[in-house]
Amino acid sequence: MSAGDIADEISQLAIAGEGEHNGVGTAAERVLRETRRVLRPPIRKIRDVTEEFATAAEQLQPGQLVKDDFFTLFEAVSALEIMDPKMDSGFVPTEDTLEPDFDVCSDLPAEQVLWIMDQLFCHLAAWHDGYPLSQTIFTSLHVDRLISPDNHPPYLLHRSDLDNTTLSSGLVHHVLRAYCLALIKSCALVLHTVQSQNFYEEEDFVTHLFGRELLPGLSANDQTTQVEKAFEWLSAADIETKLRHALDARLRFIVTYLALLVDARHPWDDLLETIQGVAKSHDLCHPLPEAFSEKVQRQLATSTPPRPMLEVSWDDATTKWKNIANDVVEAGRLTIPAITQDPHCLQRATWVFAYRDPQPNTFVRAHMQTILFGGERIADNTTFFDLMLTDIRDLVLAGDPLVDLDSFQIEVPSDPRHRCARIMESFMDKALDEYVNIYRMVCQNRCRIRRTFTQAISIWDGLETEAMRTDAELQHFSSSLHLDNTYFDPLLSWTKLYKLQIMAWTFQLGFETDIYLPDELCMMYWMLAKVLHQRIRLLESVEHFLVERMRSLNRKRDTRRLAECLASQDYLRSLRLQAEATLSLAKALWPYTEALHRLHLISVPRRDYADERLLYEARMKPFLSVTNDPLPDLEEFHEDPLGAVPLNEVWGMIDVNVKQAKSTLGELKKVTPGQVKCVGTEEQWKREIKKLETTCVAIAVQTSQLKRLAEQYGKEQGQDLSDMDLAPFADVSIPKPEARYHLWWPVPQVKERKK
Amino acid sequence: MPSSALHQRSKAAEYLEGYLNKTLHVQIADGRTFVGQLKCTDNECNLILAMTHEYRQPSEAAVKLAADRHEASREEGNVKVDMKKRFVGLVVVPGQYISKMEVED
Repeated sequence: MSAGDIADEISQLAIAGEGEHNGVGTAAERVLRETRRVLRPPIRKIRDVTEEFATAAEQLQPGQLVKDDFFTLFEAVSALEIMDPKMDSGFVPTEDTLEPDFDVCSDLPAEQVLWIMDQLFCHLAAWHDGYPLSQTIFTSLHVDRLISPDNHPPYLLHRSDLDNTTLSSGLVHHVLRAYCLALIKSCALVLHTVQSQNFYEEEDFVTHLFGRELLPGLSANDQTTQVEKAFEWLSAADIETKLRHALDARLRFIVTYLALLVDARHPWDDLLETIQGVAKSHDLCHPLPEAFSEKVQRQLATSTPPRPMLEVSWDDATTKWKNIANDVVEAGRLTIPAITQDPHCLQRATWVFAYRDPQPNTFVRAHMQTILFGGERIADNTTFFDLMLTDIRDLVLAGDPLVDLDSFQIEVPSDPRHRCARIMESFMDKALDEYVNIYRMVCQNRCRIRRTFTQAISIWDGLETEAMRTDAELQHFSSSLHLDNTYFDPLLSWTKLYKLQIMAWTFQLGFETDIYLPDELCMMYWMLAKVLHQRIRLLESVEHFLVERMRSLNRKRDTRRLAECLASQDYLRSLRLQAEATLSLAKALWPYTEALHRLHLISVPRRDYADERLLYEARMKPFLSVTNDPLPDLEEFHEDPLGAVPLNEVWGMIDVNVKQAKSTLGELKKVTPGQVKCVGTEEQWKREIKKLETTCVAIAVQTSQLKRLAEQYGKEQGQDLSDMDLAPFADVSIPKPEARYHLWWPVPQVKERKK
Repeated sequence: MPSSALHQRSKAAEYLEGYLNKTLHVQIADGRTFVGQLKCTDNECNLILAMTHEYRQPSEAAVKLAADRHEASREEGNVKVDMKKRFVGLVVVPGQYISKMEVED
């Protein structure tokens, strides 16, 4: 009910009450008066103060400010200066006009209509890439007219434009307009997808609409009808065949794109086809740059300075579009039931998705999140709770009745299975959010993956305490449930396995995102090795208890549970092998970087205000809060025996570890996709192993190069190896991520200087 | 410094402080009007306005478009064209461009 309606209702009441002296009329009248007062906007008195304000201001001393106490000069810095051409987006130079001269209703030949459409196609790709609408799509004057605040459904370019029947006006008012409307609507749908999931504003994507609305009065269905009308018009139009086909291809592209956004289940392969259709006829375009203008920014709500319109090359744009379509197709492929039913296959799939090259854009990552977290269930009959239970079973409790789904169905309170299930549930409820986050975090941009992991570490550390308590409770109740005394701390182990995994990922993503300085690499490899040591020990103990459990199952001839155990055994072994391979690589690179330090090829820069402890604390911050099995401190790092190993023995250490890594990788190659749980991502798994093998080779090559240089110059200079300075003869560089054999493994490169 | 000048200056500052956080309508030389809350000013009459909206007279083309639309809709009465309004946030309006200043009481 609008404000006016309320007032009317009450005045009715007041009239009805008149003449009765029971006070109802008086009360109603008073209510009416008050309502009117509240509802009517206050009449604002405006007073001209130009003269007196200026006179008073003149009295102030230069530099004296009259300011609100809560307003800081820090804030003032962000204020935009009006009339400054670089700051004021509304500034119009004297020789210029406010609005562009171009008339959006003017007739255009097909070639120019094609060009405008293709330009919008490029702008749309740029917007997907993270640029604001004000620098991309909104610079189109046709789009600007359609979304202008005084335009209403059916959103015409001009009130009377549908009367036009000539070919070149129909091209604008039917074809181009329909294309623009569909494109604007598509932006609204993309925004909806992005905003309904986790993303980082400005960092990933700009959702700002600059005070405009994206055709609120038009549904995607209306929209499709508009495009269909355009198709119809086009088929009847008297126009050269190749131009008709070209226009048709563009309409087909936009309508397909829109349909896919409306219903994500449609196959995105179709979009790829339409993109190819558009690309084929791009040559027919005739440029019409006047149809786009930065001047639209003068009328957009913004608190930023004017920014240039973006120029995107056609080739870039088509590549980006193909990537989007392929990425969405891949997101679908990576979430088929065969994958989503298995937590570990699914985890691998999310990583594979995140590591597509280039990384999928914000929209596609949001699309992936919608598939995973959009509904209650991740697959037809799997919830995240089920997924987590399977995860616990496969890692630590295979063959144990504790994790039988049946146990969760028992309703007899005296049954120990019922009680254990409730205890398990209570723990799982506490851990569920963080568990789901493991999947969600990987769908963020790379820096954020690492950053959210750093925050997750202490949460998982806290969960360990919870797990310990739950394990104790379970042990109390489950003695009757268990076959023998093979009980250990399953939930603690499970939690710790994840915590250690996330810690290792944090280090490795740190390498990838280049946050460690060259002089920090040595310690980081050492720390990574420590984390993996812990993880391997833990995996061994879990494997040990599994074997015990299998023995008793064997005695009972429980084949179903035994099969479960065997699968878990295979998976645990593959996890251990992966951890061992990582450990060996870290243990090879750690002495290698240590050698670089000793030979003065990596030196610690002079830092006036930093000492080693502060640097350690800054770098290790995510790990310092860990209370269960904390990482070693600085002293322990310095006390490591490697410090005392002479250089000519260090080479041997590197060599041993590279060999070890290679042989472990060889073992891993023999593991089947089912055992390692990379179903659906077999190709990427093979590639991963290949990359690690190449990294091994790179370490070996760099080590022998370094060794050769050290020996050669040692001999020439008559220097002792223990006090050798190679800095004048060689340089070390850390390869950029794109030049690495594996993103997570930067192998410092040694290059001899030319004499 | 004569004490009367000092007195005057503090009175001026006091007077100006009375305008802080009041809504000002500031017209500048190019015809635009800024409506926002005063946060800060100085002896050159530079103003910092917060939560500011910019108002601009509609262009001839905009008036013509509105007139055409009105005609096509076959509605009675006069054509109404609103001032173009947009949000610009925190701005500095340099004193030199100010042609008129009004305050909402």
